[in-house]
Amino acid sequence: MTYQEEKLFFDQQMQCTITGHDGVIKETDANIFSWKVSTSIYDAHPFFEIIKGFLEIFEQEETTYNFPCIHLEEGKLEKICDVTIKINTKEVVILLFDYSSKYHELNKIAQQKNESVLRAKELELKNKFLIDKEKFKNSFIANINHEIRTPLTSILGFIEVLQKTNLNFEQEELARIIKRQSLHLNSLIEDMVDISKIESGKIKIVEERFLFVNLMEGFQETYSKLAEDRGLAFETYIDPNIQEYLIGDRTRVFQIINNVLNNAFKFTEEGKVSLSVTKNFQRTNKLSVSFKIEDTGLGIHEEDLENIFDRFTRFNRDKQISGTGLGLAIVKDLVDLLNGEIKVTSEPDKGTTFDIKLPFKFEISKAKPEKKKKKYSLPESKKKFRILVVEDEESTQFLIMKILISHGSFFVDVAMNGEQAISYMERRNYDLVLMDLELSKIDGYKATHMIRKNYGDKAIAEVPIIGFTARATEAERDKCLRSGMDDFIAKPFEQEDLLYKIVKQIAKKAAS
Amino acid sequence: MTLSKKVVLLGHFGVGKTSLFRRFVDNEFSEDYKVTLGVQIKKKVVEMPDGRELSMIIWDTEGHTDIEDTRKSYLLGSNAFIYVFDLTRIDTYKDLTKDLEYLAKNHPKVIIKTIGNKLDLVSEKEIQKKFDELNITVDCLTSAKTNKNVQNFFTDLSIEITS
Repeated sequence: MTYQEEKLFFDQQMQCTITGHDGVIKETDANIFSWKVSTSIYDAHPFFEIIKGFLEIFEQEETTYNFPCIHLEEGKLEKICDVTIKINTKEVVILLFDYSSKYHELNKIAQQKNESVLRAKELELKNKFLIDKEKFKNSFIANINHEIRTPLTSILGFIEVLQKTNLNFEQEELARIIKRQSLHLNSLIEDMVDISKIESGKIKIVEERFLFVNLMEGFQETYSKLAEDRGLAFETYIDPNIQEYLIGDRTRVFQIINNVLNNAFKFTEEGKVSLSVTKNFQRTNKLSVSFKIEDTGLGIHEEDLENIFDRFTRFNRDKQISGTGLGLAIVKDLVDLLNGEIKVTSEPDKGTTFDIKLPFKFEISKAKPEKKKKKYSLPESKKKFRILVVEDEESTQFLIMKILISHGSFFVDVAMNGEQAISYMERRNYDLVLMDLELSKIDGYKATHMIRKNYGDKAIAEVPIIGFTARATEAERDKCLRSGMDDFIAKPFEQEDLLYKIVKQIAKKAAS
Repeated sequence: MTLSKKVVLLGHFGVGKTSLFRRFVDNEFSEDYKVTLGVQIKKKVVEMPDGRELSMIIWDTEGHTDIEDTRKSYLLGSNAFIYVFDLTRIDTYKDLTKDLEYLAKNHPKVIIKTIGNKLDLVSEKEIQKKFDELNITVDCLTSAKTNKNVQNFFTDLSIEITS
């Protein structure tokens, strides 16, 4: 098709322009753009500057260049054209084909397609940002928890020591309040750690065989006493058809039921709280147990029910009722982790019912009795036992010294770090070492490893070592045992627990 | 006499070629994404450090995920290619080495430069780690939004393109 034919064919949608090799327009029909004869095509639009390059390499033979979808403007007029440039020895022919409407249609489709891809990428990026933020938050909580637990250990420990001194009534009351508030702070930390563990997937559900009846009797015992103190009734029903031993995560089941019961008592001023445990269904070695916890307490308004499992949600504005607003959020997360279900119904001023269904397994074989905590006593070979406390934090040093010295059966030496501990042990025999894990110079694990490996002297190499740290995790416990320690105790600890573990290790060593 | 050089912006869609183009030529920026169909061409006269003037004819092409899909005629007579990618989207630069090899092979006389755009959305440290992992080097990191490094990049290019 010649350009004259093309012109006829496309009519008004086409513009034909002829220039000399110098770019000056010789002829144009000005169908699309109102270019003038004798002006330069190079001034019409920067696109045409490309012709200069083509002319530089032109060699006698007519050459055609096609450019689809070129945006051309003249003042406010904008067109999207396919452009053909033909160069021969005499002139340059420029053909513009205006496909603006076709390209604008295509533009809409491309816009939609690209936007959806970009939106998906944007969401992906936002999601990554949120995940990173969450990771930072969880590690922040874990670290802050560690930092808070250490001084809290001292506070709780010293209150216990203080309570054993001669206090007048007012002082006793103040000590009691400090203890209550410290325990509350401790439970808040534990709740926060639980939430962060659940979120970061660090809570592993364990399947252990446990005495289910025993767990339920524990609730009966604890809450009957609380009910009595509060002037409430506590009714329980345990379905006798439920197996004595079940397989499941005892700790998490305890945490769920305990949290809900605790909540029920907190918000019930008169009437009763009841716990009813029934078998939901049983198939082969699996069963579903339903725990129904009802109270005659304050109740919850219907509009609040949908938010009941949200974090930091507290509907009751009564500041006398303490709480973190995390308890039920943890319950919901744990129930989900155990693949259970939780439902709540409530009526203001009448009470609330929580219905929890949890799956368990059971062994078809015969049940074995559960082990009881063994009792230990210090050997009679000595009147006093020498303990080395390796701790760099002054208040914790002082607290442990107080506990051990008040007991009356121990001499206590204190080392500030692993290096000092080893030098003390080379000079004196110890019956036990209490080793903090985060120490300067040589940390607790390394010091333990050195004690176990580097000494032929059994008095040093085989001394019982108990690790203690604010990082109360299973991984930490495993790490302690792997490094050669005999036991582990998490801060904050109860005096009784610390003494039990010390006596146990000394007794075991004496018996070996 | 004013020198004239053709510079073509290439790369995937949505990486910010048009934003860089508008930022450099008109010193404007818009958050709205508007797809480029075909090619838009603008001229910017740049004063060189030696006092000469360079007329930069910039071709802002439509984005393609595969460099080989770029219309061949758009690349004719080019003096420089600027390969632009989005620092927040790894798929816009994971094939950078391969794409640059393709361009160098088919246009051996053309200067090729790379720009990682949207610097305002990423950390330079993180992005350097990514580049190290992918074993790529980039000529310039820019933000068309904040105008970071945009003018300097084009000034450096104008010197290189005329030397």
